[in-house]
Amino acid sequence: MMLSDEPYRWAEGVANRRDYIEDQIRTGSPVVGMGYEDGILMLTLSRSQQKLFEVYDRVGLGAVGHSTDIEKLRQAAIDMAHSIGFNYSEEDVTLRQIVYFGLGPAVKAGFDDVVRSPFLARVMLAELDGEEGARTFYVVDYDGAFFRYEDFGALGGIQEADRLMEQKLEGAEPQTLSLTDALSRALQAWAIGRWVSNLEDIPTDDAELDTLSADVDLNKLLKEELQELDIEAIVLQRSLVGKPKFRKLTPEEVAPALQSIEA
Amino acid sequence: MSEGGDFVDLLRRDGYRFPGEGMVASHGHGDLPFHPTEGTTILAIRYSDGVLVAGDRRATAGNMVLYDRADKVVNLDAYSVMAISGSPAVAFEIARVLEHSFQYYRRRQLQEMSLGAKLRRLSLLIKDNIPMAIQGIGAVIPIFATYDRNDGCGRIYFYDALGAQFESTDFTTTGSGSPGIRGVMYYQNRWGDRKFADMGRDEAVGMALRLLDTAGEYDSATGRYERVADIFPSVKIITASGLEDIDTETLRTLHAQYVDGGPGA
Repeated sequence: MMLSDEPYRWAEGVANRRDYIEDQIRTGSPVVGMGYEDGILMLTLSRSQQKLFEVYDRVGLGAVGHSTDIEKLRQAAIDMAHSIGFNYSEEDVTLRQIVYFGLGPAVKAGFDDVVRSPFLARVMLAELDGEEGARTFYVVDYDGAFFRYEDFGALGGIQEADRLMEQKLEGAEPQTLSLTDALSRALQAWAIGRWVSNLEDIPTDDAELDTLSADVDLNKLLKEELQELDIEAIVLQRSLVGKPKFRKLTPEEVAPALQSIEA
Repeated sequence: MSEGGDFVDLLRRDGYRFPGEGMVASHGHGDLPFHPTEGTTILAIRYSDGVLVAGDRRATAGNMVLYDRADKVVNLDAYSVMAISGSPAVAFEIARVLEHSFQYYRRRQLQEMSLGAKLRRLSLLIKDNIPMAIQGIGAVIPIFATYDRNDGCGRIYFYDALGAQFESTDFTTTGSGSPGIRGVMYYQNRWGDRKFADMGRDEAVGMALRLLDTAGEYDSATGRYERVADIFPSVKIITASGLEDIDTETLRTLHAQYVDGGPGA
């Protein structure tokens, strides 16, 4: 092996690592974040395993990927938030701090360390009434790259899923959106994300994928998935009394959004 | 591996040290170079819906009134409060550590901290403070009150300065004004028109306001209703539906009815 080969081997190694991670997490159940009139809704479907978590008073977390890797990142986020919250103040706990200085660098370091297994996870965080806006979302990708969204957030196992889900969520007015309408929209977005993640061959051309996705019967897909999976939904609810704003939704609260699917 | 959920452990890893930590317990000789700040009368009553916790608002240093708006009843989570008498510097730090401990544990371990564990955490923090207590500058004697959702009743615990924990069945009071009302509470509960446990919310709040006023009558360090600045004692209730502050307007009405009015007014 010649020294001059090294950069190519390195680039190849990184590409292999990406393929490996994407292959591991692509079929994970998507996570949807949607702003509504009283705050933020997060939703996913799962086999009774908890996938949406409270990080701090106004911060929630959802993820796609390997459950133990998700657990490590979740704990890191919670540790950081509570250290800042205690040593400074509750207001100093922001998504910007958690993502820029905590999760982003940690995931990037894991991805770069070729002798160890990377984090097999993509993470979405939601923040209610923070410095950067009333409904802010960050997605931290498996390589440590992160992206900020306002009003909604979409996280699938692959980026095509993110894109199609975003299309379903765009254009809503969170300030006036009822919880039931937000749930309905989130379910539609989850379904399209699920559909594309399970596609055998995903068209590389965006327009082609859009055409293909337009014909999918999302309600039928949801009805089938709901045979096996349960809806998990949480809110960061502004009107909740006290500092912590995180709350799980009850099946009764979710039920009205299911009527349109069953019809 | 950190199975954890222990917030104090997280703080120590960050380099945090408690005020008395590492201090050797020794009894102070001679006068302190300053008068330590102290909080005064707090009380808790089990009434029909749950538990009521109240405290006056005065903080003193020696014979000086330092502050008239001290809030000595501190929320720890949606169902528990800590009321503090003694050194506010240490007490507020303990309350802050506990509040974060309960939340941290719930979020990290994905389950609520049990009542037994909450009591244990508070006890440990008071024990950590023993050197300060012995020096005579930082003793904390709190009341911990919560609603036990398993048994559907309010619960009251009080502590001594070394961290021993006691559960009180009907009521408790601590602080410099407490000797003046301890006997009154016993008398009221035993031979009054109604036992505390049978009182409704308004009557219980009215009783708490009367008791704090009585404490203030005999203890110069306990504040009463402050007419110039319109400051009432703090009163909170904890019931099956959680923690609730009694708002100023309700306190005004009940103060007028039970303290200013009342038989013999």
